[in-house]
Amino acid sequence: MKLNIEGLLVYFPYDYIYPEQYSYMLELKRTLDAKGHGVLEMPSGTGKTISLLSLIVAYQRAFPLEVTKLIYCSRTVPEIEKVVEELRKLMEFYTKETGESNNFLALALSSRKNLCIHPEILHANIVVYSYHYLLDPKIADLVSKELAKKSVVVFDEAHNIDNVCIDSMSVNITRRTLDRCQTNVDTLQNTIHKIKETDAAKLREEYRRLVEGLKEANVARETDIYLANPVLPDEILQEAVPGSIRTAEHFVGFMRRFLEYLKSRLRVQHVVQESAPQFLKDIFEKVCIDRKPLRFCAERLQSLLRTLEIADIADFSAVTLISNFATLVSTYSQGFTIIIEPFEDRTPTIANPVLHFSCMDPSIAIKPVFQRFQSVVITSGTLSPLDIYPRILDFRPVTMASFTMTLARTCLCPLIVGRGNDQVALSSKFETREDFAVIRNYGNLLLEMSAIVPDGIVAFFTSYVYMENIVASWYEQGILENIQRNKLIFIETQDAAETSMALEKYQEACENGRGAILLSVARGKVSEGIDFVHHYGRAVIMFGVPYVYTQSRILKARLEYLRDQFQIRENDFLTFDAMRHAAQCVGRAIRGKTDYGLMIFADKRYARADKRGKLPRWIQEHINDGSLNLTVDEAVQLSKHFLRQMAQPFRQEDQLGLSLLTLEQLESEEMLQKITQIAHQT
Amino acid sequence: LHFIVPMTSLSEEVLLVVKKVRQKKQDGTLYLMAERIAWGPEGKDRFTVSHLYADIRCQKISPDGKAKVQLQLVLHTGESTTFHFANESTALKDREAAKELLQQLLPKFKKKANKELEEKNRMLQEDPVLFQLYKDLVVSQVISAEEFWANRLGGINNTDPSPYNNKQEVGISGAFLADIRPQTDGCNGLRYNLTADIIESIFRTYPAVKQKYSENVPHNLTEKEFWTRFFQSHYFHRDRINTGTQDIFSECAKQDEKGLKTLVTQGVKNPLVDLQSLEDKTLDEGYGICTTQPSTSNANKSVKDSSNSAIIKRFNHHSAMVLAAGSRRGELASDQASETSSTDGNSRDSDFFQPPVKKVKLQEAIEFEDLQRENRPKTVPLNLKKSDRYAHGPVPLQSQQYTTSQDIINSVNYIRHEMASYKPSLTQVLSSTAATSAIAALSPGGVLMQGGAQQAINQMVPTEVQGELKHLYVAAGELLRHFWSCFPVNTLFLEEKVIKMKSNLERFQMTKLHPFKEKIQRQYLSTNLTGHLEEMLQTAYSKFQVWQTRRMMRKT
Repeated sequence: MKLNIEGLLVYFPYDYIYPEQYSYMLELKRTLDAKGHGVLEMPSGTGKTISLLSLIVAYQRAFPLEVTKLIYCSRTVPEIEKVVEELRKLMEFYTKETGESNNFLALALSSRKNLCIHPEILHANIVVYSYHYLLDPKIADLVSKELAKKSVVVFDEAHNIDNVCIDSMSVNITRRTLDRCQTNVDTLQNTIHKIKETDAAKLREEYRRLVEGLKEANVARETDIYLANPVLPDEILQEAVPGSIRTAEHFVGFMRRFLEYLKSRLRVQHVVQESAPQFLKDIFEKVCIDRKPLRFCAERLQSLLRTLEIADIADFSAVTLISNFATLVSTYSQGFTIIIEPFEDRTPTIANPVLHFSCMDPSIAIKPVFQRFQSVVITSGTLSPLDIYPRILDFRPVTMASFTMTLARTCLCPLIVGRGNDQVALSSKFETREDFAVIRNYGNLLLEMSAIVPDGIVAFFTSYVYMENIVASWYEQGILENIQRNKLIFIETQDAAETSMALEKYQEACENGRGAILLSVARGKVSEGIDFVHHYGRAVIMFGVPYVYTQSRILKARLEYLRDQFQIRENDFLTFDAMRHAAQCVGRAIRGKTDYGLMIFADKRYARADKRGKLPRWIQEHINDGSLNLTVDEAVQLSKHFLRQMAQPFRQEDQLGLSLLTLEQLESEEMLQKITQIAHQT
Repeated sequence: LHFIVPMTSLSEEVLLVVKKVRQKKQDGTLYLMAERIAWGPEGKDRFTVSHLYADIRCQKISPDGKAKVQLQLVLHTGESTTFHFANESTALKDREAAKELLQQLLPKFKKKANKELEEKNRMLQEDPVLFQLYKDLVVSQVISAEEFWANRLGGINNTDPSPYNNKQEVGISGAFLADIRPQTDGCNGLRYNLTADIIESIFRTYPAVKQKYSENVPHNLTEKEFWTRFFQSHYFHRDRINTGTQDIFSECAKQDEKGLKTLVTQGVKNPLVDLQSLEDKTLDEGYGICTTQPSTSNANKSVKDSSNSAIIKRFNHHSAMVLAAGSRRGELASDQASETSSTDGNSRDSDFFQPPVKKVKLQEAIEFEDLQRENRPKTVPLNLKKSDRYAHGPVPLQSQQYTTSQDIINSVNYIRHEMASYKPSLTQVLSSTAATSAIAALSPGGVLMQGGAQQAINQMVPTEVQGELKHLYVAAGELLRHFWSCFPVNTLFLEEKVIKMKSNLERFQMTKLHPFKEKIQRQYLSTNLTGHLEEMLQTAYSKFQVWQTRRMMRKT
């Protein structure tokens, strides 16, 4: 159908449309009109991607000078491929409707193996790739540096974007890293020696270039040609490379000294935590290394590798890592912390020192993106609470909206099970997590559900260790055997290949009618990347609240930073983080309006307003007071009722006019009125 | 009714001789031979009891501590023979020896016998008419069981066994291992209850165990020993910490492990569940934050951890095996299908050609069925005014095929077209006289319309008599079939058979037909119900007569 979105002609490749899609496009268009950033939460399975693509492509065609490019970032390879498929569908529709084959160039990068696409990226109208191509400075520099300013950037599935940012800026150094770096440095020295004998002119040319400094990069940045590299600070662009590392040999010597220093730092007996300035002070006192040359390390190494014409950069990953660390630690006095741990907490007898250089501020990595591109849209099925993202990513959106899912029948059924049949409170909190009664009741819940839910059930645990313990305990008590009478059991393991196989078998068992249960882990790969549509997931059970492992020093440092810098209380952040993962888990089961599924939150803490309030609106609004603190039996009764209702035939006619609209219905005055209520502005 | 069988011929190997064994209060000697068990009374040189092992269903022994030490053989026919071991000092030992030997011998014959027996059983169960016939003829001893089955089983073996195969495959319960939870027997032992179903489940799920079974039972181990070892083995208790005993199942565990590994390395067909290629390999080594600290190295894994992960592995493996066992039959076909379909996707240019599986899965994933106008052929929605009427099934008058108006229009057009181009072919029509007589014959009162008499019988005879008559007809038909199948009588065997069959017929007439005839006479049902039956028998007799006189003439 052809839509009129506030005067913009949008080709939408379907015969019908969901009201929320229309509303979503409306908000999106306002964001683009304002040339600002947006945060949009829309339930999974309501056709978010096609709405985004349809509107932005239409916008590009209508205002080719205003928006030149769409950069669509998603997280997993299958997600990226799905976007490409949807795009293909849209393009086919254009061709069919307009009768002309359009000259849109779309480009998808789904593997870093194909990195040599640089010029094509510049000409494509649409680029689809992984977050990292934009957020990881190491890749962004190669791939995305020259993307036009008038691009629209979309981060889909963005509920974890802060972690991606942090990951891309953090470095871990072990003894092994240092050893490999040592080898790298030796190789560099030898190569320099050889070149000196054969082609000394080359080195002299490099030296000359370095005296000139990084002016080129500076010019580019000032004239706004490049996407800024957060690793490359503004100041050094105006300066020449310091003399102490200007010749190749001096630089290698410098790296050796730095390496020795790091080795000495790893020889610790107790945990050390310090800030970047403290680290710089110490390195200056101990080995007289100044801050300035450190800042140039990354660039200097790149130049050297280019000069030496080293083809296989992968071999030099260790020295690259160290030089990146040197530049980062000397550039940012804030937002990072250094933690040196002599051994793992669980195995205090085995020395395994690690230096964690951890980014605590996700805004550092994403700052260049917000600064450079005129519109950045952050969207996902679960972005609640919406206001926290602008705070932790440090940007000011022009639109923030959460959309509900319009439903002709209530196809999701969130239940909070807070008690066992014996009235024992169910919770995964630390004090009771070993409690026999809780584990037994959890087992009972799964057993009862396995008897009434058809086909597939997915259960998520708060962590892998927790799952292992519970599974062992259920096994001892014979609970698993009883569950096996109803369904086959598959369990996520720490091995990805093994889990993939278990997953496929799980699907096979759902497909052939036998039915199966998948035991899995929140924050794991399954919870983040696998959908359980229709019969692959008729119920999701979330055992406990998936709080992050709070004993980690890195996390503690990050929480402190959030409190000091952004005035976000530790508990608020932890709860937000736990709830977004819980929402991700339970959301796996509902992938559309014709789908249906139970969402069982098995922990009494979910009933509290501070937890419940952080769930996405489209889940929250279906939790009523009657389903807040259920016993296992009560939950089973409600589930039976729900499943029986859902099993009735559900036809297109049932949806039409309510949650599914024809063009005429959409254009009616009354409906347009209704649609304005779908978007919930904050 | 025991056959008197001559004393063992020299060729027969005697495995065990037990003296002082009483049978029917008669002292005698028990012989266990290669293929049969036999008993002869003391002082006589022949057996009065002889059973082929294949005929024996099972043996039973009297409980320990009972005064009489006995062993009972139950035959497939349901008969049984009891031996009483009477040698006071060694009775128990004698019995054990006989029992042990039988225990080893019987299973060997069981398979063969069982198969046949099962087949017979199945036939009787599935065919009520046959079952009635069996009751009428065999149980009432008109003919012997062998005679009854003689040409039926042959037929079974030759004809297509498809009805048997068409039975639906039954999957395996995921919890079959749970059903063999051991029970303590009260004195430091464990009892496992194994049924044939469970054993089959174990075999189907773990082919490696089945292989071990066929390798070792019964030559190396008895069945009981095999299963005892199975339950004791590390293989059964894999999640427990290995006790390190070398048992016959360690190989199974290895095989399983290997099978699992190959399964894992083969990877998954559906790219959307492949967790390994989920991420666009993002961070290089050394970058990123590790919030959780999974210590993956084995060295620092506690015993408990590894036992836990063994449980998890085992559950995955078990479920996969159960699933595979359930779908093994169908798998082959679908596997081939998917392979052939994926070969054409093996194009090298991955940008343009994605493997079909992937493409299909992606299409499925992005599809919004409700956003598309339905392309299916228009169906008529079921609009039930009275749903209970729907539930009670269709009423004949209302059952009609629904035709759309388009269909009707099409049909009308078609007929119109047919009519327009209709050309009578006058050479092939019936002659007018033939047509008239046919009409006359089919009119009321015509030759072909006189079916009234049978209805009269229907109404005159009570249903139970009708039923009885039916049985008689079936039985007589069966016997006559046997009788007539002997002609032409050209072998000695057939000669014997035809004589026997004739006497069978006579016996049938005496024991079945006559009592029935008398009964209906007593009930004053004057109609000659059995006339036709007698006529058929008479025909057979006269045929026999003719054949016999001819034979006599030939002989003289």
